[in-house]
Amino acid sequence: MVTYFDHAATSWPKPPSVEQAVMAAFGESGGNPGRSGHRMSIAAARVVEDARDAVAEVLGAADPGSLVFTKNATEALNIAILGTVEPGDHVVTTSIEHNSVMRPLRFLQSRGVDLTVVPCAEDGTIDPTAVGEAFRPATTLLVTTHGSNVVGSVLPVAALAAIARGRGVAYVVDAAQTAGSMPLAVEDLGVDMLAFAGHKGLLGPTGTGGLFVRPGVLPLPLMRGGTGSRSDSEEQPGFLPDLYESGTLNVLGLGGLAAGARHLLDVGLERIASHERDLVARFRHGAAAIAGLILYGPRTLDDHCGVVSFNIDGLASSDVSTLLDREFGILSRPGLHCAPGAHRTIGTFPTGTVRFGFGFTNTATEIDGALLALTEIAAWARKRDVP
Amino acid sequence: MSGELDGLLTFFASHHAIRAEKVLAAAGLDVELVPGPKELSPNCGVAVRFRYEDREAAARTLAEASVKLDEVHPYRPATDAFAGGSRRRRRSGRQK
Repeated sequence: MVTYFDHAATSWPKPPSVEQAVMAAFGESGGNPGRSGHRMSIAAARVVEDARDAVAEVLGAADPGSLVFTKNATEALNIAILGTVEPGDHVVTTSIEHNSVMRPLRFLQSRGVDLTVVPCAEDGTIDPTAVGEAFRPATTLLVTTHGSNVVGSVLPVAALAAIARGRGVAYVVDAAQTAGSMPLAVEDLGVDMLAFAGHKGLLGPTGTGGLFVRPGVLPLPLMRGGTGSRSDSEEQPGFLPDLYESGTLNVLGLGGLAAGARHLLDVGLERIASHERDLVARFRHGAAAIAGLILYGPRTLDDHCGVVSFNIDGLASSDVSTLLDREFGILSRPGLHCAPGAHRTIGTFPTGTVRFGFGFTNTATEIDGALLALTEIAAWARKRDVP
Repeated sequence: MSGELDGLLTFFASHHAIRAEKVLAAAGLDVELVPGPKELSPNCGVAVRFRYEDREAAARTLAEASVKLDEVHPYRPATDAFAGGSRRRRRSGRQK
């Protein structure tokens, strides 16, 4: 038995229906979607469109046709960022972004794009007015995370969207940590594009993800190629989702993603969000009482997704993570979590933190077990002779 | 025996470490995949513990297999000394 606290990297276990759906896609729906009119091709296309319907419902997208499937949130963010910005443009982002946002932006910066990184507070929260003040006449894009993959802070996306809209700036949101873990209502948020991972909160297999694209927004695609549509033309189709879905899709993965999303709808996103909030509250409350444990992130649960970060005095995050796994069967993630800026923001660069990413299948008992383990590790760290 | 694994090989990427463990184990070296210690390497993921006295053989074996090695360190992790109170679980890594 393991205690799996790495849902922020990928969720586990998946609902049994996800595995069944993947296996089912080997059978009658094993054709190539959209490439032919025979029954197995049509069945495969139905698998893909069923996934689009289910994920649209989870995200609160009115039109499933505004969703594009990619292999992960990173690819979706690359489409949204690289496909929108041109040399001479100015882009605004925050200091807690994942490298899936920062690396494309740093690349663009090297190609003549201006970039402003608005600092977040030490708890990973941000003042939206500071973001507004960073806008210039040349600003064309705002990119922010929704929920931090390091400290679990949830940024005020609706407020940021209103500011961006008021200034005519396109707004891209990285919802890798929040899609499927809380109700999103993407239409009401007013964002222009929102990237999601299929294998985290949405409970699908790895190799799935996508991008919500508001009607009227058309970033350039990263890739061009066969789509099964307009096959008489050597020009890329200009309509969604084909503009961004060149090459055969991951039908097996998307079958699983559809099942994962349906599972979320059955359970209820409010219930999932509330359960994860309870787990975070229980952990934060218990962790605050452990001598030698340093807890990061926002104190208010309203600004929190299911991610917490901490360190133990006198131990590297990787040592704590090793002990948690080896001695207690608790699976965590140490280090920088591919977000160096976030660690500079909270003061833990370059050593990083231990991260727990909670999911709906985690229990209060598991939290209590982890708190006991951390108490034991912290006590040992205090006692041992530092070489 | 982890007590004898007094060296660490770090890599630029986890898939290099996974490949290295496979190649070195096949060559008969005593190795174990472990979480990469953050004080030695900023890279995500895993590193390979080995006998430091095997460092030349290890570097040669990896070069022959075209596995990119980052650094070689003498290394005895602090966590080896953890008694774990009543718990004395076996290491969860692959034992050779």
